[in-house]
Amino acid sequence: MSKKNLKRYFEILELDSDASLSEIKNAYARLNRLYSTNSMVMTPIADEFSKEKRLEVLKQIEEAYKKLSEELKDEHQRSVNLGKPGISSENGAEGEEVESVSFSGDVLRQIREKRGIYLYEVALDTKIRAEILENIEHERFDALPQEVYLKGHVSNYARYLLLDPRKVADDYISRYKAWKAEAKDKD
Amino acid sequence: MEKSRAEKEGKIWAIGGGKGGTGKTFVTSAIGTYLAGKGKRVVLIDVDIGGANLHSFLGIDRPKKSLTDFFETGASLSKLAVKTGIDNMSLITGDIHSLASDSIKFTQKLKLFRHIMKLNKHYVIIDLGGGSHNNTIDTFLMADKRIAVLEPEIISVENMYHFIKNALFRKLRMSLREYGFKEIVEQMWQKREEYKIKSLRELMDCIRDSFSYVGDIIDKELSDFKLYLVLNKIRSSDDILIGSSMKSIFMKYLCVDTRFVGFVEYDDSVWRSIRERRPFMLNYSFSRSAKEVEVFIENLLEGKEIRLSRN
Repeated sequence: MSKKNLKRYFEILELDSDASLSEIKNAYARLNRLYSTNSMVMTPIADEFSKEKRLEVLKQIEEAYKKLSEELKDEHQRSVNLGKPGISSENGAEGEEVESVSFSGDVLRQIREKRGIYLYEVALDTKIRAEILENIEHERFDALPQEVYLKGHVSNYARYLLLDPRKVADDYISRYKAWKAEAKDKD
Repeated sequence: MEKSRAEKEGKIWAIGGGKGGTGKTFVTSAIGTYLAGKGKRVVLIDVDIGGANLHSFLGIDRPKKSLTDFFETGASLSKLAVKTGIDNMSLITGDIHSLASDSIKFTQKLKLFRHIMKLNKHYVIIDLGGGSHNNTIDTFLMADKRIAVLEPEIISVENMYHFIKNALFRKLRMSLREYGFKEIVEQMWQKREEYKIKSLRELMDCIRDSFSYVGDIIDKELSDFKLYLVLNKIRSSDDILIGSSMKSIFMKYLCVDTRFVGFVEYDDSVWRSIRERRPFMLNYSFSRSAKEVEVFIENLLEGKEIRLSRN
């Protein structure tokens, strides 16, 4: 993506162009709420600011968020491939993921924490209960829902962290299956 | 309008925002006290026509001389400035009785601004009154830094929105007039029914569509029109959202480059300071709200926004 486009997307989300991933997510959630609900701040212009205009604004916000996340994800992917810290990483330590090819619950937790995102934020945005997310991170497999649901949750969580949902879900589910097979053997 | 040199320095700050009672005078006195404390030479100018009371916030008596003397007898501004009891900071006041708002002509205002710019000060902080009178708006427009004080409640939101809208409309009209396109805005606005124009935004869009060269002027004016937003008297962290929402609407709807520089908690010690006749920033310098004031002033100095989300 060109630098100019990138700058425009940051502008739409009302951010400086050095904004972090969690700032992008927060701005997106906040603006989305503002323009899709009847906020007090909107009342003075309620009759001037037509529904079409608002939808247009919402569309722009959506596009900006999508493009920026993709961009950051690409950057991140590239940096992982090169084994260098990603730009989305605040402390520049995300290169570690190269060694941990397999996405375990603990790796997901580490990535989340490095990005400065709290569990309740993930829960709010993904609509997955915080308790389930915590169990996923701690790999409390016996407390987790059935495989098909679990797979959905893990992909959603991965998508939220801007990771490849399929790769993460496959890794995670294979760990889950291994645990299940072991549990069966014990019976 | 003369401001190229001063604009770079950001010397003249105007505090406005529409509604009375949002804390413009408090913000003015706090900014002055803070900057003076940093060793800057500061003069505060109170042009709140309806109720010049900046002196009360500083705990001093109403100055005997006022801007009226400047307009009527040509007294120099530095002669009108009185001491405030705070090092490096003086005060010039407007006068409630004789400074009738309609009696000042635009050329007089320009003259006043020329003199203000010549003052040997680092910062000139102007306290505008409430309301959206042309006098108030012109002073706001002529300043280098335009600061609007918002309170988290509906009337303040509404008044500020109208204030900024009027200011923007006036600025556009004046600059298009300078370029010789005075009629365009006026005619389009008069025929707004025909053009289906319901708002300033639609008017701007319509002009842009019809005359591309005028569109360039509008874009330039818009990029010059920076606004700094201070949210005062918040009572919960939820209120902070009103500041960022207001900013968003100014940006997305009016295309005004707005920076939300900070918020200040509602604090009874502000009126306690007035009663005790001591400047708040000195009297309660360790309070949470005084720290919040310092944060937004630093942001104003650097043109930065307050960072709300965690990093």
